[in-house]
Amino acid sequence: MSAFLDHLPEFWEGLIVTLQLIAASFAGAVVVGFVITAMRVSPVGVLRGIGTAYVETFQNLPLLVLLVLAVFGLPEIGIKASLLVTAVVVIALYEAAYIAEALRSGVNSIAVGQGEAARALGLTFGQSLRHVVLPQALRTVIQPMGNIFIALTMNTALAGAVGVVDLTAAANRVNLMEAQPIPIFVGAGLAYALIAACVGLVTGRLERRLVMVR
Amino acid sequence: MVSLKRMAAVAAVSLVGLSACAGTDSGSSAVPGAATSGGNDLLAGAPVAAATDILPGSTMEKIKKRGELIVGGSLDAPLLSQQNPVTGEIEGFDADMGKALAKYIIGEPKVKIVNAASETREALLSNGTVDVVLQTYTITPERAEQVAFAGPYYSSGLTIAVKKGATGITKPEDLNGKTVIAGANTPAIPAIKKLAPQAEIVTFGSDPECMQALKQDRGVAYVQDETLLIANAQKDPSIQIIGSPFTSDPYGIGLKHGDEQFKKFVNDWLVKIQGDGLWQKTWKNSLGTVVQGEAPTPPQIGSVPGS
Repeated sequence: MSAFLDHLPEFWEGLIVTLQLIAASFAGAVVVGFVITAMRVSPVGVLRGIGTAYVETFQNLPLLVLLVLAVFGLPEIGIKASLLVTAVVVIALYEAAYIAEALRSGVNSIAVGQGEAARALGLTFGQSLRHVVLPQALRTVIQPMGNIFIALTMNTALAGAVGVVDLTAAANRVNLMEAQPIPIFVGAGLAYALIAACVGLVTGRLERRLVMVR
Repeated sequence: MVSLKRMAAVAAVSLVGLSACAGTDSGSSAVPGAATSGGNDLLAGAPVAAATDILPGSTMEKIKKRGELIVGGSLDAPLLSQQNPVTGEIEGFDADMGKALAKYIIGEPKVKIVNAASETREALLSNGTVDVVLQTYTITPERAEQVAFAGPYYSSGLTIAVKKGATGITKPEDLNGKTVIAGANTPAIPAIKKLAPQAEIVTFGSDPECMQALKQDRGVAYVQDETLLIANAQKDPSIQIIGSPFTSDPYGIGLKHGDEQFKKFVNDWLVKIQGDGLWQKTWKNSLGTVVQGEAPTPPQIGSVPGS
């Protein structure tokens, strides 16, 4: 265990980067996810098509492929950002597809009458989505969203493969010097498990408070 | 035309190879029936251990009974251990050393290469997934507490590569305050930290990725083993190498910690092939194809702390 404790500063720096990756990419994924969901349930055929294409594209490509493409491919056509920013954008766009699907299943669980009632009140599509459908839909998908959040947390480890020194990459570097993979990766694994446990706790609380009894 | 000639050469060597010793392939051949190129001539004269050297109950006996040496190695290290896409055969200095060791133990150069990542090598050895690790495995005292090292069997060093025409970097200390590219899990990272503590290090998983990153200006310099950089610079004239190696990396053959019997056996074999010229031929056949001059003097076995 000393191999882990001796290098706490390195692990701490890695953990901070991992938390940055998680927070920024989750925020981005939620925003994009909402937009895609709105497109997929909108009455305009073209928008529905774009939404479907987005989800199909990002769900059917491995995240690592997307990361490598963005880091090494985009500079070839003149688009270059820092490694952290590139990783955040790619992870956000990727996870947005999953968030959109979870949200859509929530929207589908709302009775048609709710939408019809909103329209009868004179609300526009946007208003009925914002004030009637999405608030109810969100409450039904808290647990799946929590699962996506946990998956996103684990997926940030892939950023280490494209140069971002996150928790996983920091663990790799320490192991390079100490050559004690088991305590080092157990330590890093525990940090990830702790983050996931926190997310699980929060979503569990939220669900109990917000659940709708039907 | 060139590729046709090459294929003909490969085919010719394959025939010779097949008749010399059938079944040299590790079973991972992409082309069924295709045998090795080059390596077979080398291995035809490789020594085989005397039956009395294979002690009963030893690791050597276990490997001999299994009929296959399981090597932790790489498939993407040019000149050291790289899979040839045409033949499926793994070629290079480390790969040939593995085959020669297999022949010494089993009588046939039968190896199975397990693609070991540098972060898992110690674990693979300690849990017995692989018999040996031949993967530019630098001997360090810290690592020697986890694994046993036979060798050193080769000595290399870190060098700096920059884009052609870059100025201001002539020695490792010049990297201070600059962004430097290094392979993830390579000795380059601690070496840079030591000599240029203010350098910012970015790491990528593989050598081609590091090269791409250097060309895309994700860093001003790329620190890597000299042999790899020479091979890269030969393929890619847009980069250049600065000076000569600034570290000494003695590569060892990783063995299970505490297996003194096997360590002595492998060390005896290394002394033998250094003496009979096989080591030098293996070098000529791989690294020697890009490095000018005669084969270097092989390192003294046991000459480094940890070996």
